[in-house]
Amino acid sequence: MMVLVGGLAACGGGGSGGTTTLQWYGPPDSAGATDLIVKSCNQQSNGAYRLVNNPLPSTADGQREQLVRRMAAKDSTVDLMTVDPPYTAELANAGWLTVFTPDERAQLLQGVLDSPTKSAVWKGQLVAAPWEANTQLLWYDKSVAKAAGVDPTSPDFTWDQMIDAAVKTGKTVAEQGNRYEGYMVWVNALVLSAGGSILTDNDKGRDAVPSLNSAAGKTAAEIIRKLATSKAADPALSSADEGASLATFEGPTGGFLLNWPYVYATIQANVKLGSVRKSVLDNLGWARYPEAVAGQPSTPPLGGGNVAISKFSKNQSKAFAALKCIISPEMEKQNILVSGNPIANGAVYDDPQVQKLFPMATLMRDSINAAGPRPVTPYYGDVSAAVQRDWHPQSSLNPDSAPAATAKLISNVLHDKRLL
Amino acid sequence: MTSTATAAPPKQRRQRTISIGGAILIVIYTMLPIVWILSLSLKSPGDLTNKKFLPSHWTLGNYRTVFKTSLFTDALRNSIGISLIATVIGVVVATFAAYAIARLDFPGKRAILSLALAIAIFPQVALLGSLFSMWRAVKLYDTWPGLIIPYVSFTLPLSIWVLSAFFREIPWEMEQAAQVDGATAWQAFTKAIVPLAAPGVFTTAIIAFFAAWQDFAFAITLTSTNRARTVPAALAFFTGASQFQQPTTAIAAGAIVVTVPIIILVLVFQRRIVAGLTAGAVKG
Amino acid sequence: MTVTAPEREASVVPAEAPHSYGMSERTRKERRLGWKLTAPAVILMLAVTGYPMVNALYLSLFSYRLTDPSGRKFVGLANYGVVLRDSLWWQDVVTTVIITVVTVAIELVIGFVFAMVMNKIIFGRRTVRTAILLPYGIITVVSAFAWKYAFALDSGFVSNWLGWLVGKNYNWFGHRGSALLVICLEEIWKTTPFISLLLLAGLSQVPEVLQEAAKVDGATFMQRLWKVTIPNMKAAIMVAVLFRALDAWRIFESIFIMTAGAQKTESLSFLTYRQSITRVALGIGSAVSVLLFVTMVIIAAIFLKGFKVDLGTVKGERR
Repeated sequence: MMVLVGGLAACGGGGSGGTTTLQWYGPPDSAGATDLIVKSCNQQSNGAYRLVNNPLPSTADGQREQLVRRMAAKDSTVDLMTVDPPYTAELANAGWLTVFTPDERAQLLQGVLDSPTKSAVWKGQLVAAPWEANTQLLWYDKSVAKAAGVDPTSPDFTWDQMIDAAVKTGKTVAEQGNRYEGYMVWVNALVLSAGGSILTDNDKGRDAVPSLNSAAGKTAAEIIRKLATSKAADPALSSADEGASLATFEGPTGGFLLNWPYVYATIQANVKLGSVRKSVLDNLGWARYPEAVAGQPSTPPLGGGNVAISKFSKNQSKAFAALKCIISPEMEKQNILVSGNPIANGAVYDDPQVQKLFPMATLMRDSINAAGPRPVTPYYGDVSAAVQRDWHPQSSLNPDSAPAATAKLISNVLHDKRLL
Repeated sequence: MTSTATAAPPKQRRQRTISIGGAILIVIYTMLPIVWILSLSLKSPGDLTNKKFLPSHWTLGNYRTVFKTSLFTDALRNSIGISLIATVIGVVVATFAAYAIARLDFPGKRAILSLALAIAIFPQVALLGSLFSMWRAVKLYDTWPGLIIPYVSFTLPLSIWVLSAFFREIPWEMEQAAQVDGATAWQAFTKAIVPLAAPGVFTTAIIAFFAAWQDFAFAITLTSTNRARTVPAALAFFTGASQFQQPTTAIAAGAIVVTVPIIILVLVFQRRIVAGLTAGAVKG
Repeated sequence: MTVTAPEREASVVPAEAPHSYGMSERTRKERRLGWKLTAPAVILMLAVTGYPMVNALYLSLFSYRLTDPSGRKFVGLANYGVVLRDSLWWQDVVTTVIITVVTVAIELVIGFVFAMVMNKIIFGRRTVRTAILLPYGIITVVSAFAWKYAFALDSGFVSNWLGWLVGKNYNWFGHRGSALLVICLEEIWKTTPFISLLLLAGLSQVPEVLQEAAKVDGATFMQRLWKVTIPNMKAAIMVAVLFRALDAWRIFESIFIMTAGAQKTESLSFLTYRQSITRVALGIGSAVSVLLFVTMVIIAAIFLKGFKVDLGTVKGERR
């Protein structure tokens, strides 16, 4: 009972005098970049607002779940929120995000790369500010590439060449093949790279037209099946996430890996710790995402995080001021240096400190610039789940029938005619 | 018990060996996964993929991480407080109801048992959204009572069923016999009935406590800050060095820490349950 | 021949209490006491579940998404038709049946052994009793993670230890059978203490005199088990198996963490979760919830009929 009294008493505070408190909900950040940004912005605001950082659960699904529930209840205690790019359209379409005026838009997009902006726009209007941006690169073992006689940094390097090189040298191509969002990232990048798309007429909401049943869809399925049924497949492919695929790459069969740039710092840390051989770091090479079709430049995956203002916030103008501070180049630099997360502002990649942290910083920026978003639709979750369901496991994927079947499933699911 | 003591020495020795061997096997079976969690908690995040049972480098870093922020320590306080209060309220209320169901004749008894069963089996995911809105409306969102009430409600069905099955088998005539012998009604109840009821009540208590202790769905839906967030929900807020790294080693450390209260509780409760068992053995 | 406890007299009420007319003062008092004692439980249970349950039934008649409030439209029972015609629903029914039958059957046997050990153990009793109950106290999510990491190819020691059996590169979560096996193992390890705890409470109610009498008559251990012990703890077994089966039928967290439903390991609860929470398709999600509820009512009914135990009867009445 003593504990109960203590627990209830501890919750009192909060009602500070004249300063407006702004509640910002976003992913937890153990590196402390968010806390640093909040602190700096509060200082710069000169008491105009006091930004408070509230962590959401660590998984993207968990974050979305909380935000959707709170927005649906018109919760006014959320002022700012960090939204996963693919779910921005969903929240915007429901009318829960503040739409920015053309003038505000110009302020928020200053210096921001083009690709991240695509996921922050719904029906032609900016509904969130791109803050972090992410992309996958090809990581490879230089000795393996040399032994196979291929050059992954060549602009024409293709998936076919990579798989063949791995088979030839007895190594693996590690990818994220578990039935989860990371697999959708792979499928989407292959379809876009092959010149197609998973969905068209996205603005029509549930009447959007699935366009996976195309040559590009077939090419994507063929590449996945080829890898899955070849000797280059990671034995854990059908259940591998980012961490598992990195572990395969760090192991004795590592050859090629498609993954986010976080792996660079992680490999360094693991080598330092002694759990990974030093040669993995010494031989580590990086290149742009391989081509799906020879001669057709690839469209690498895009990730990141957008910051939006809640429609139900009672402090719209102050929230906008805080948002501008959060995405300012100065804070973006702090963010990438402290958290190691790639950011949406292009100029920051030229900073010497950033270049030192990421020797491949310029490649990262180019890759983000060339990257394509996952389908921008309020029904993104359904589209993704439908693809994951039909295209998994990879080894039984049929390139001739899967694209058509999935296209049909997507449209049935959007109209509540099928379960998912 | 006495029959084994008087048995022939070789048979006794064999029985002893079997019982010791069996005990060791059981302990290995139940403890291996727990030792594995302990081992995970002593690995550094990069060591997670060493494919070995034990860490290649032992570290207490995960425990430091866990205790570094108030996220975990507050959650521990909330978990202990909320679970204990929910257990006490739940057991008292369930005991009243189960006593009535087992001992008294009144209309609506079967309806209550059916209602309890219906609630026990209604999918919780279907309730979360509505409960969230209700709790926000009545200002119970993100408070201790906001979690205690659903925990009590959802453990009541099982508690009522277990206790009424249990109470039905208690020889209540002993109470009357004691009263005939000159004891007051209260004395008769505490001396004759309480010892017999104890195993059932403590069994129910341990089940109710564990249910509240482990709940994730309500805790994640009905809390938003450290004020009322419990440990299972707090674990969902743990992060690795980057968003793509699983914070498994830190989660394991947290899990080991919250297992300590569980061990204490089990030690206390199993004694109570077993004490009641020996009392039960004289009846019939 | 089954030996049961000697009939005890119903101590408070005569079995043939008059009902509608001529109700004695004592009967009326008893009724009032019964209602008073059960009222707090009923109120608490209804306070939390009443509105949400009705709301779920109501929502199941709509095509409605939380993120598209304006698109809400009445569709009658169409959602139920969609669910029942979908192969995914039936595939998940099969998966759930497999998991429930396998885990409950094995747990009942192990749980019984554990209960007897806890009851009679002489050697290291406190350690063994604590060890038996501990898995139950481990947070479900953590237990699932531990088992996942033990079997996963990139982090697990199991593929090393069992390499001679299935090969060092065997992906346990890459095949339906082996993935279900790991899920069942985790579930059995985690929830056997629950069953053994309830059985232990039941064991305490088997009259010792009957055991002794049977021993004197020369009954073997197995004979005593089947003829004395089990028949006398029928109610406890029934409650343990019923609630454990209902719990297994709703298995969710361990699947969510270990396979996320891949390789056809998705359970009905997981299906419900994905429709209602992930897709926020509240209409069709509520329909799945209601159907899941119906399947559980059927299971409960089968159990109650099968075991023929009626807790609603006062002891000694109609027995």
